[in-house]
Amino acid sequence: MQKGVCGGGRAGLALPGLENPELAEGGRDSESRGCTGVSCAYPIGRSVFISVVFHLITVVMEAPPVTMMPVTGGAINMMEYLLQGSVLDHSLESLIHRLRGLCDNMEPETFLDHEMVFLLKGQQASPFVLRARRSMDRAGSPWHLRYLGQPEMGDKNRHALVRNCVDIATSENLTDFLMEMGFRMDHEFVAKGHLFRKGIMKIVVYKIFRILVPGNTDSTEALSLSYLVELSVVAPAGQDMVSDDMRNFAEQLKPLVHLEKIDPKRLM
Amino acid sequence: MQREEKQLEASLDALLNQVADLKNSLGSFIYKLENEYDRLTWFSVIKVPSVLDSFALLSGQLNTLNKVLKHEKTLLFRNQVIIPLVLSPDRDEDLMRQTEGRVPVFSHEVVPDHLRTKPDPEVEEQEKQLTTDAARIGADAAQKQIQSLNKMCSNLLEKINKEERESESGGLRPNKQTFNPADTNALVAAVAFGKGLSNWRPSGKMPSGIKTNIKSASMHPYQR
Repeated sequence: MQKGVCGGGRAGLALPGLENPELAEGGRDSESRGCTGVSCAYPIGRSVFISVVFHLITVVMEAPPVTMMPVTGGAINMMEYLLQGSVLDHSLESLIHRLRGLCDNMEPETFLDHEMVFLLKGQQASPFVLRARRSMDRAGSPWHLRYLGQPEMGDKNRHALVRNCVDIATSENLTDFLMEMGFRMDHEFVAKGHLFRKGIMKIVVYKIFRILVPGNTDSTEALSLSYLVELSVVAPAGQDMVSDDMRNFAEQLKPLVHLEKIDPKRLM
Repeated sequence: MQREEKQLEASLDALLNQVADLKNSLGSFIYKLENEYDRLTWFSVIKVPSVLDSFALLSGQLNTLNKVLKHEKTLLFRNQVIIPLVLSPDRDEDLMRQTEGRVPVFSHEVVPDHLRTKPDPEVEEQEKQLTTDAARIGADAAQKQIQSLNKMCSNLLEKINKEERESESGGLRPNKQTFNPADTNALVAAVAFGKGLSNWRPSGKMPSGIKTNIKSASMHPYQR
């Protein structure tokens, strides 16, 4: 790949989509409710988008651990803190009821999203993964592209799973573009559920549907008899006290749901 | 001397507050017993007053009282002496006010009860009996009895805790289990790397539904 496009490779490229930390932080912008994952409704032009993705790929594929990366070019390293659990279908109502009481007072928000996961197989053993998400029930909302790094394991005292996270909103031709870049779709699913907020914490309760005919989101079947419950915060790197707040909130949902730090590598 | 006086005053104040709280809770409990005895239950889950609630409150307050007395800044009241200086059969308005109308006269009838430092003669007799009984058993036997009592208590506690834990995890409660850990793992695996989602793709070949220009990364047109 031509390094010139990235402005010198790792030296740092201003990522206009992420310059405004408030927008990137957690979707406080009420207009950015297009997809549940959207944390910034800042549509960017195609050429800038290309450079963003190139930068992302070069930086991340060669990158040392996140803690050693310099903060350059005005882009702040955002981390996603995550706790996950599940609730059986018949107990969903009790959970929603409790969440409505615990969380910020807002209109109960439901969503129906279609997520596609793209892989770029390079020379390295592990492929580069990007997640593209679109809203199926809110016409006109931007598509959402997300990169999630490897979870940082090691600190046993940290109560949540922590991983590097980059979120951007894009236009509708995202999948075509990713294909042209060489990505291939690995799997897709439909997510349908509810969204709650408490301060900077986001709580999503959703059901995963398997898509039976590729590309056809009408023929789906539920993956399990449970809803997945995720408590997440997107915050700048280094704010570990966030995980304490998350754990305190998770305590309030017991014994309905047990939110815990689940390492996906253990489930492979 | 002055410091001691201040200390005495402070500890007396603390003690008075604690005792006042205790008196209030006792008073409300007695009221409940006398007036609401038909609606009173031993234990209730919802916010209905129960006997165990009152007991718990009283026990907590007695504990705090004990703590106040044992506090290092509290003077040893044992070292203080109270002597009645004047006894009179006349009504004392000041005393009435201070005791909220309960003690109208500071007379020879009132003093033995209020300034008592030893228990009733009958109670004292019973206590003496118990102490001689205890001494008669002998130190070894007493120790053995203490140990067996402790063991029985801990066994009982374990049984109760186990029962409580088991019923919570879904066996006996009418609520049943609200989540299934196997489901959690399946869902997390699905979201993390697509486990269980892409079974329609035979051996990793490209799905036919998606039209693409298949270019591998190494053959990218921009590559030099």
